[in-house]
Amino acid sequence: MKAWAIHLMKLLFPPRVLLPDIIGIDIGLTIAALALLVYLTKTHRWGWLWREWLTTVDHKRIGIMYLIAALIMLFRGGVDALMIRTQLIGPHEHFMGIQQYDEVFTTHGTVMIFFMAMPLVIALFNVAVPLMIGARDVAFPRLNAISFWLFAVGAILLNVSFSIGGSPDAGWTSYAPYSELAFDPGVGENYFLLSLQVAGIGTIATAVNFLVTVLRLRAPGMSLSKMPVFAWSALITSSLILFAFPPLTVAMGLTMLDRLFHASFFTVSHQGMPMMYVNLFWIFGHPEVYILIMPAFGIFSEVVPTFSRKALFGYDAMVVSLLAISFLSYGVWVHHFFEMGAGPTVNVFFGLSTMLIAIPTGVKMFNWIFTMWGGRIRLTVPMLWQLSFIPTFVVGGATGVMLAVVPGDYQYHNTYFLIAHFHNVIVGGTVFGLLSGMYYWWSKMFGWQLNQRQGTWAFAFFFAGFWLTFMPQYFLGFMGMVRRMGTYPAGLGWTAFNFWSTIGSYLMAIGFLIMVYNIVWSRMHPNWDTTGDPWDGRTLEWSLPSPAPIYNFARIPVVHERDAWWEMKLQDRTDEVKISVDSVEPIHLPKNSPMPIILGLAFLVGSIGMVFSWFWLAILGALGIVADLAYGSFADQTEITLDPHYIIETESALGRLQS
Amino acid sequence: MQMERDISHVPTGRGDEVEIHGLAPHLHMTRFPTQQIIGYLVSLLLTLFAFALVAYHWLPLNLLVIVVVCLAFVQGAIQLGIYMHLREGRGTLWHLPVLGLAGFVGLGIVGFSIWIMLFKSGVS
Repeated sequence: MKAWAIHLMKLLFPPRVLLPDIIGIDIGLTIAALALLVYLTKTHRWGWLWREWLTTVDHKRIGIMYLIAALIMLFRGGVDALMIRTQLIGPHEHFMGIQQYDEVFTTHGTVMIFFMAMPLVIALFNVAVPLMIGARDVAFPRLNAISFWLFAVGAILLNVSFSIGGSPDAGWTSYAPYSELAFDPGVGENYFLLSLQVAGIGTIATAVNFLVTVLRLRAPGMSLSKMPVFAWSALITSSLILFAFPPLTVAMGLTMLDRLFHASFFTVSHQGMPMMYVNLFWIFGHPEVYILIMPAFGIFSEVVPTFSRKALFGYDAMVVSLLAISFLSYGVWVHHFFEMGAGPTVNVFFGLSTMLIAIPTGVKMFNWIFTMWGGRIRLTVPMLWQLSFIPTFVVGGATGVMLAVVPGDYQYHNTYFLIAHFHNVIVGGTVFGLLSGMYYWWSKMFGWQLNQRQGTWAFAFFFAGFWLTFMPQYFLGFMGMVRRMGTYPAGLGWTAFNFWSTIGSYLMAIGFLIMVYNIVWSRMHPNWDTTGDPWDGRTLEWSLPSPAPIYNFARIPVVHERDAWWEMKLQDRTDEVKISVDSVEPIHLPKNSPMPIILGLAFLVGSIGMVFSWFWLAILGALGIVADLAYGSFADQTEITLDPHYIIETESALGRLQS
Repeated sequence: MQMERDISHVPTGRGDEVEIHGLAPHLHMTRFPTQQIIGYLVSLLLTLFAFALVAYHWLPLNLLVIVVVCLAFVQGAIQLGIYMHLREGRGTLWHLPVLGLAGFVGLGIVGFSIWIMLFKSGVS
């Protein structure tokens, strides 16, 4: 019995999780969690939390939960980034051990891609898309909640790994054979595999949900060609997810079989093929970067017309180029591993297909600029992020084309040139875009606006820090500094570039802190958005009060033109969104359900069983999943009916009754 | 979805009012799902058979690959026919563009992967 307990302790807390800083964080988090529990109990908030948030199926609340999770993950991934940069501030620096450095850069990449950028994308889809297309919810509201809880379980799995059992350390790409049992014992990689598998199920479900929502639930009269471009980007992103995530699931599943059941899919000594992992991973990985950037393109296509007071220039070209990018993005994945040596024909094909993507992207750039041309531009915070995106993304895109040149790529592949390139497009494209969207739709989510002056300062620090961090890294790449180096010697000319890059990352951190201050300050001194249309917007979400009532539209608007709300305002038809007392019909809404969060818990239990190879626990989790799905299938009352009196009361309190 | 039915009473202007009704789930059917259960068992058997073929080396390699690929296509047909409602709703014709796209991407991925993984086909 005693030996068993010692074995368990050694498994849960191996030496690599017993570093002083990790123990410090563990203690801090435990105290914070206890304080939160006490606070919720003292203020009797448990019932409220359960009814209003944990069991909700309302897309607006699910969007807010995604947003909060994404911001917390941005903090976590950002702290990891600061640790990496601090380690590299000078030669021979020993801020961390090399093992810990490996764990930190792995966590940084995984958290930022899967648990910061993806949920922030999905948060904005949830918040904006149904409101934009005149729908009362997404097509499958309970599935939407399931997606969120599966994402949450994935995030929890990856985030507890560093304090229980050990962090993954094979990079966010987790190439075989680094990730194979022979070279990477311990449970760290298992955490990585399980967390991405579980979160991936949620993401695929989200994709199905938004495909159906956009295709089936648009307001009457809103044909595809009258749909806001952000809804288009949601549609196209969803179809990309639907095709791109299964290869990742396969790659992760095969690695899991290798690690847990001693298969040999990627083990050379047993005639496995490690390059097949790389191939499968990038079949997913390249569409994935377009999954991240398409929503940003969509956001900018909303932000630019609103703040230029002009309709989007070249709507059709915008949509066609989105479609072209999504199509081409399936035919480029080999540019991540030209060095495998598949031969000149293969490499040239994929090099050229990569360069082709620059054409539709360039079309989009020009269209945004032409939209601004001659417009009445307002330099609000969302617009500042947009304006800074254009030069940043052009630099990132141009260096991407450089990387697509095969002989050149042999020189600077996997150096800091690559690191600078993809941060240039992912931070400068996706993160700028998502923050722009966050500031843009914030009042629609919460009913109050973010302070503009503080937002501008946050932007200024983040933007300046961004350029200072990543421009030196291009030069470091040319000078031969390889990615994922834990330390480097003096005398190579790298020191000054690394020093300034680190200073830049500190500036970005200050920008993030100002943004947090901005959110907290604006919450404490709320500038209530009483009109529901603070930006003088163009699309249907601005015809609603902020935040929208639970049923979104008391009356589903009829759409005649693109930018439907703008047309209504121009033609003085804004009364069309108001209801008259005698015409109100009861509204049916989906009912809250405990099934999604219980499903998440079952997945958590089962995943922990798989991570530690406790298969009895994994089977228990699997049985829980089946039982919960059965319960969900037989739950017969899944809708509530809103009484017309309730709707009339709510709408008249908002001043939305026709006189 | 109740919401969907609500909207479907209003002319959508998209000319697809009939389709919305055709797509609505028919929950009043209480027939025992014999077909689905048989399909489930057949899927399991096909998977077990493919696994056994590989695990117990019943066939030479070339033949093995061909047989396993064939089994995969049968499996796919069962999934599409029984669970993905290929034969319901607006008729098979409507599904063809989407299926074609899926087939294009799926076969493209497999075909390209084979091409890529034939190492040094162009160099040596």
